[in-house]
Amino acid sequence: MSQPVVHIHNLNLKYQQKPVLQDLCWTINRNDNWLLCGESGTGKTTLAKAIAGMIPTLEGDIQLNFDLSSPLPAKVHYVANWYQFKDLEGASNFYYQQRYQSLATAITATVIAELTRFGNDQQLSFEALERLLTALGFAGLKNSALLQLSSGEHKKLQLVKALWSKPQLLILDQPYNGLDKLSRKNLNDLLTEISENGTQLIIIGNESELPAAINRFALLKDGRLQEISSPELPQQEVEEIIKPLPSFLQREILTDSAEHIIKMIDVNIRYGDKQVLKNINWEVKPGEKWLLQGHNGSGKSTLLSLISGDHPQAYANNFFLFGNKRGTGESIWEIKERIGLISPELHWYFDASATVWQSIASGFYDSSGLYCSPGSTKHAQVDELIQYFGLSAYKNTLMNELPLGKQRLTLLARTIVKKPAILILDEPCQGLDQQQTQHFNRLVDELCKDGSTLIYVGHFESQLPACIEKRILLEDGAVKSVEHLLQSI
Amino acid sequence: MSNYFNTLPLREKLNQLGVCDFMDSSEFLDGVNALKGKKLVVIGCGAQGLNQGLNLRDSGLDVSYTLRKEAIEGKRDSWKNATENNFTVGTYEELIPTADVVINLTPDKQHTAVVTAVMPLMQKGATLLYSHGFNIVEEGMQIRKDLTVIMVAPKCPGSEVRAEYVRGFGVPTLIAVHPENDPEGKGLLQAKAYCVGTGGHKAGVLKSSFVAEVKSDLMGEQTILCGLLQTGSILSFDKMVEKGIDPAYASKLVQYGVEVITEALKQGGITAMMDRLSNIAKIKAFEISEELKTIMRPLFQKHQDDIMSGEFSRIMMEDWANGDKNLLAWRAATGETAFEKTPAGDVKIGEQEYFDNYTLMVAFVRAGVELAFETMVEAGIKPESAYYESLHETPLIANTIARKKLFEMNRVISDTAEYGCYLFDYACKPLLADFMKTVDTELVGKNFNEGKDGAVDNRALIAVNEVIRSHQVELVGAELRKAMTAMKSIKTA
Repeated sequence: MSQPVVHIHNLNLKYQQKPVLQDLCWTINRNDNWLLCGESGTGKTTLAKAIAGMIPTLEGDIQLNFDLSSPLPAKVHYVANWYQFKDLEGASNFYYQQRYQSLATAITATVIAELTRFGNDQQLSFEALERLLTALGFAGLKNSALLQLSSGEHKKLQLVKALWSKPQLLILDQPYNGLDKLSRKNLNDLLTEISENGTQLIIIGNESELPAAINRFALLKDGRLQEISSPELPQQEVEEIIKPLPSFLQREILTDSAEHIIKMIDVNIRYGDKQVLKNINWEVKPGEKWLLQGHNGSGKSTLLSLISGDHPQAYANNFFLFGNKRGTGESIWEIKERIGLISPELHWYFDASATVWQSIASGFYDSSGLYCSPGSTKHAQVDELIQYFGLSAYKNTLMNELPLGKQRLTLLARTIVKKPAILILDEPCQGLDQQQTQHFNRLVDELCKDGSTLIYVGHFESQLPACIEKRILLEDGAVKSVEHLLQSI
Repeated sequence: MSNYFNTLPLREKLNQLGVCDFMDSSEFLDGVNALKGKKLVVIGCGAQGLNQGLNLRDSGLDVSYTLRKEAIEGKRDSWKNATENNFTVGTYEELIPTADVVINLTPDKQHTAVVTAVMPLMQKGATLLYSHGFNIVEEGMQIRKDLTVIMVAPKCPGSEVRAEYVRGFGVPTLIAVHPENDPEGKGLLQAKAYCVGTGGHKAGVLKSSFVAEVKSDLMGEQTILCGLLQTGSILSFDKMVEKGIDPAYASKLVQYGVEVITEALKQGGITAMMDRLSNIAKIKAFEISEELKTIMRPLFQKHQDDIMSGEFSRIMMEDWANGDKNLLAWRAATGETAFEKTPAGDVKIGEQEYFDNYTLMVAFVRAGVELAFETMVEAGIKPESAYYESLHETPLIANTIARKKLFEMNRVISDTAEYGCYLFDYACKPLLADFMKTVDTELVGKNFNEGKDGAVDNRALIAVNEVIRSHQVELVGAELRKAMTAMKSIKTA
């Protein structure tokens, strides 16, 4: 009997001085491929980083036993749920809108340059790369600058590197975030393939669509690991009674006098030779609830950035917001005032050096970080919302000290704090567990009852608000279909 | 044309040097209204031009760009910047006659030619906007009497101007109205509206004058900002190599050290920077910075005198006329220094290590900032203006050194700043020769605290702290920084 690949004995770890893992034990034998699930903030990422040797373990023991006779590199590769890329000078001071600005993206390397660097570092065969790029639908992005990639595309870049380097142990932290359905399936096939060739897998997440190779399941709870029989999270005491919305969010939305909130006539966006939106025609009336769908890279974020006032090419298009043609004297701050926006990119580039309280309050001013002092009314509203989202304990904690799920909840609160007339929710529940997702989607239904307009992007069809009534589908930058949905999905 | 400042009687000189008013946010309640519906035409589309234009357009203003015919036909970078971001671009003849406000964001050296070319095309009663007063003050450019002349100068690189705006904030900005050209009295209103358009009103606006801006800007950039950082970096590197420190380590310490050290300066002034040192290192840094101040004071005074008399701009303009002979030779020589040619090593240097192992630079920065500030204030420049042009900008320049060393710093700053920087550097190095003989690796390259027990005399420490904290640059700085606290910290390596 060979030695276990990973043997963890009585591991204790703290995160920001708080105990996260307590006397945790875990044995991973050869041929075991695990799913590690658990609620947001239970320490899954901390455990993964400890196994990958990225954080020191002061108490307890982690032994790794690689197979020295294997041709695969004797190492752990950890695919983080979050990462920061850098520009050519090693800095990462990017801002959210920069990727839409022409010529502002050349400060980062291209995808192919980054992959070449990585491949040379790890001494990998470039023949194997092409197949991976094609399988993940990434081949067309080789010459894109890193800054131009969407969050789903960055996730794919991380995955390409991981699959390409074929380590003996591969840990994937929320690998499905931001991936469309087809990419998720292709990823699972690729993972099964490398596991058959000797790579062992640990996947962190709460998904049910998993690679066939996954054969063990663990739940992390209260600092300890327990083996479970299936990927389903054990049914928790679901709070049956949905808490009533804070009263300040219940006021009526004044219906917009314009006939259309959004009207796009043959809208085109291109960067140099690359066309990302093609002849888009789309009308959104006040109060409508839309689902926006499309593969990774189909142009969804670009389309939304036009609406939120973040895309400079809005000025060159036949495009109306609230009945006014863009570029006729309105400021982007007047537009943003009416919109509550969240997206993976907004989260990515958000100023995480502010506290939870400040971050939520910044939603009143549509800023990343808080630059003025809200009056007492707004102050009380932020407090109420913090309580509603169960974030009271973290009120004065800096965003960058919180796990991603809590950061995301904070930004969701920021999105709705001013009760905007339009909600643009681009994969709002990325990084949340299923229960939190359900809760938030019900909250969206509540918020939208009284006339708000909704545009929702979600790759998981089982996780959408019930109120959605129309769908627009993008493919390769063009509108593929627009349809009414007869029943909720 | 003759130097405008030198044509003024003494009383008026002092009057204009002394314009300095930190504006209250209530001054900006009218938003961009004074420019709403007006045609704004920007000349030049480099980093400042493009990013200011993007902000103005996003604030609801009508912005287009005018470029020289050759730039348009040659599809140069400026043309690409403007067209690919969907701005209208046209020649001077096409766009200037329609403009209500002409915004001159070309390099200093081109101002006379550019303004001479556009002035006849400008409509009666239009406004000409500068972001630096050199052309008006030093070259004495005369502007048609019906035109309004204003200045709006964001005190950050163009990329920051954009980044801070879209985050919902802005960068500190200086504004001025030229007293010779405000025929309708609308200059200040338009300058304020422009500030709102670029987001500057959220981060603190200082009302200055063309004269005060030029005389303080020139002084700051050639002494503390570029000159002394260049001198200090080269001397520190050479000293470490001379004493046997690994050149790759030395190169990294110097390249990134000044950025890490001045980040503390940005957050909390000289006090915060000095407080990052141990008590014994702080007392030592204090002592040598006092010594440095004594040695360098005459040089700082000479620079200020030459700036005030116009002598500096006279000799620099001679070099312009001479095809930039001196500038280009000095630039090449900087590229050849051992520091420039030694790549930063792949060694990890912790954030605190940059302070502990580079005490000498802390002393250089304190000496340079205080000297520049004191010299400016003695010359009649108000403390707030002097603060912006010394302490405030030091971290911004340090950031360019961290990116690509001195060559990058000199590429990013204006040719005027670069010329002054070399002048200073060449005079300062010999001045510091004897002092540098006394410097050993405990001050640069190795941890100052190593092998020392760290004990200090309480009274000595209290006295040193008192001197540092009660300096006028600290008192003024504490007040001005309140308005800027929200600025994002520059990320360091």
